[in-house]
Amino acid sequence: MNSAAADAAITRWTGDAMQSRLRKRYRSERLFKLLGLAAVGVSLAFLAFLLGTMLWKGMGGLTTDFLRMSDSTDPELAGVWGALKGSFLTILVTMALAFPVGVLSAIYLEEFATRNRWTDIIEVSINNLAAVPSIIFGLLGLAVFLNFMHLPRSAPLVGGLTLALMTMPVIVIAGRNAITSVPPSIREAALGVGASKMQVVFHHVLPLALPGILTGTIIGMARALGETAPLLMIGMRAFIAVPPSGITEPATVLPVQIFLWSDEVDRAFVEKTSAAIIVLLVFMLLMNALAIYLRNRFEQRW
Amino acid sequence: MTLGIAFIGILLIALAVGGISYSQASRLRGGGRLHSLPAYHALHALIWVLVPTLLVLAAWAPMQSRLVDQAVLSSPEGQALPDFEMQRDTILSEARQIAHQEIAAGFNPESTALAPRVLEAEQRYAGIGGIAAILIALGTAGILLLRRRGREFRARTSVELWMKGLLIAASLIAIFTTLGIVLSLLFESLRFFRLVPISDFLFGLSWSPQVAIRADQAGSSGAFGSIPLFWGTILIGAIIAMIVAIPLGLMSAIYLTQYAAPRVRSVIKPLLEILAGVPTVVYGYFAALTVAPWVRQLGISLGIESASSESALAAGLVMGIMIIPFVSSMADDSIAAVPSAMRDGSFALGATRSETIRKVLLPAALPGVVGGVLLAVSRAIGETMIVVMAAGLSANLTANPFESVTTVTVQIVQLLTGDQEFDSAKTLAAFALGLVLFLITLVLNLIALNVVRRYREAYE
Repeated sequence: MNSAAADAAITRWTGDAMQSRLRKRYRSERLFKLLGLAAVGVSLAFLAFLLGTMLWKGMGGLTTDFLRMSDSTDPELAGVWGALKGSFLTILVTMALAFPVGVLSAIYLEEFATRNRWTDIIEVSINNLAAVPSIIFGLLGLAVFLNFMHLPRSAPLVGGLTLALMTMPVIVIAGRNAITSVPPSIREAALGVGASKMQVVFHHVLPLALPGILTGTIIGMARALGETAPLLMIGMRAFIAVPPSGITEPATVLPVQIFLWSDEVDRAFVEKTSAAIIVLLVFMLLMNALAIYLRNRFEQRW
Repeated sequence: MTLGIAFIGILLIALAVGGISYSQASRLRGGGRLHSLPAYHALHALIWVLVPTLLVLAAWAPMQSRLVDQAVLSSPEGQALPDFEMQRDTILSEARQIAHQEIAAGFNPESTALAPRVLEAEQRYAGIGGIAAILIALGTAGILLLRRRGREFRARTSVELWMKGLLIAASLIAIFTTLGIVLSLLFESLRFFRLVPISDFLFGLSWSPQVAIRADQAGSSGAFGSIPLFWGTILIGAIIAMIVAIPLGLMSAIYLTQYAAPRVRSVIKPLLEILAGVPTVVYGYFAALTVAPWVRQLGISLGIESASSESALAAGLVMGIMIIPFVSSMADDSIAAVPSAMRDGSFALGATRSETIRKVLLPAALPGVVGGVLLAVSRAIGETMIVVMAAGLSANLTANPFESVTTVTVQIVQLLTGDQEFDSAKTLAAFALGLVLFLITLVLNLIALNVVRRYREAYE
């Protein structure tokens, strides 16, 4: 009798107990939402602070001379042109190797491979390679390209090869996603009018999947452009005062140049390092913007 | 150089044969339908001329350099060289560089005399190889043109078979890369374990790889106990970075998927992704320049006298921030994969949004989130530049985040940059560390990929 009355008091909407419980629930609801907002805010604040610091420290060093000159021991004369050229050559090698191989293996895995043990092994090794630490690829490059094949040290050729092995899995994964999103009706229609399997893939599926593949490739290339650790392993950390003129000549790349300058004792290099970081970030942002543009411009909903 | 000319010649022959096949096939078209389009006839001829010849050329190139060396050494100037092999090899490589006009004069005077012999031998053997390759190309071209094809000739089938071979070859490169990583790491590690017992490496508590210059110096062997390195790696990558990244990443994913308006989300999500795109060397510089001094100040104001300017906390904090977008996008995916019926059911029972998230969505998405966190840990412990620039070099076995610790990746960079002699225990130790790092990340990745995949299947 007594307990039933108490229950009624608790479950009555206008009762004090119910009202205070509701208030508590609304309070925790607001708190939770605030926590989420705070998490996003902290991340964005950190990003803004990082970019702001670099701009504040490096804007003064961003002159045309800085873009024209190469590395020097004198901070007054040091510039990024040599490193930019090295980065460009390295990325060129990476692109020339990783893009065709990545696209071809994505095509094979999506369109031709029958599910068997070999395909499983290929799939597992691609997924795993995409998550292997980059420094391991540097060790591979050092052991295979330098010590076994005797390719020239600190050359864009070796750097590009190493980064290509690293970027290839990223392109394969992006390529497979782009290829699966092409609807089967396209394939069936092409097969129906008498195209061979190979013609279906190269005349119809690949052109339709290309924007998606390119988006993934550009993001992979941007990652390769910012990569430092594997290039340190293959000796691209030498002092290079003359810009490289070919892919077999000693070179350095922009991220490595930043790393080398950050180690300098001379305080004047702080400005140089921050300015080089601004240049690197501008390139990364341009590449990412291009990828987003491509995705929005050519994305198709089937 | 002459091999280059031979290559151009072969290319021209192949193109000519392709063109002739094309016009032959086009003429056949008058008599009825062809099995394959003329372009496939041309491609078929092109492939059959190019592939065998280029294979021969590729096999010849390394053979040629060995033949050149032999010829040079057996010449009168070569006979006069010292017997000591290493010295002879340096002179030979200098002579090669002079012959190619890469350097003006060698360090050894003998190399200048040797240079014309190198040039002579190279021209002779390149001539032999080039002419042989061109003859093979002409031979296959002749056979192709003599066997006139009818309308029924299945050129397309043959070309497509070649293309399929190319596709398979491209996808096998992933396996070869994995195999290359495992074999090269294993091979160098085995050489290391011949110098340093494996138990010392895996269970030793002290790490000081300084190997003395002279073998008879005291303490010349160095200490290669890797426990302090792995502890440092775990402290920075798996503990401090995750304490930062898991709550922040998870809460931002929840806010963006459950609370934020679509317009807000479409602005904030790319901004968060920029955080993942910033190169690690930039984070490293920022950590060393800005965060580390703050952390040191904080440590001193807390009364920790030993607070280092290369603290584990500074590197871990920045690494955690770097990982946020990664955790966030994995959590985003797993929450999105929870069937909306579960969410709707919870709302229908009167639960608030946060109650639904905490009591229904998160438990249901937990396997996916755990998989994502494992991948994030694997990425954090393999991360190099942040720790190289912001964490220290001293291998301390400490749990105090204000002190300096070192990590596996820092030591790999440290051991392999600077002077390298490829047989010392110091350089080989880097490969042993790399092997263990690779195995740990491999296991983490495989578990995580499996968990995520099985979780996706559960809700499909």
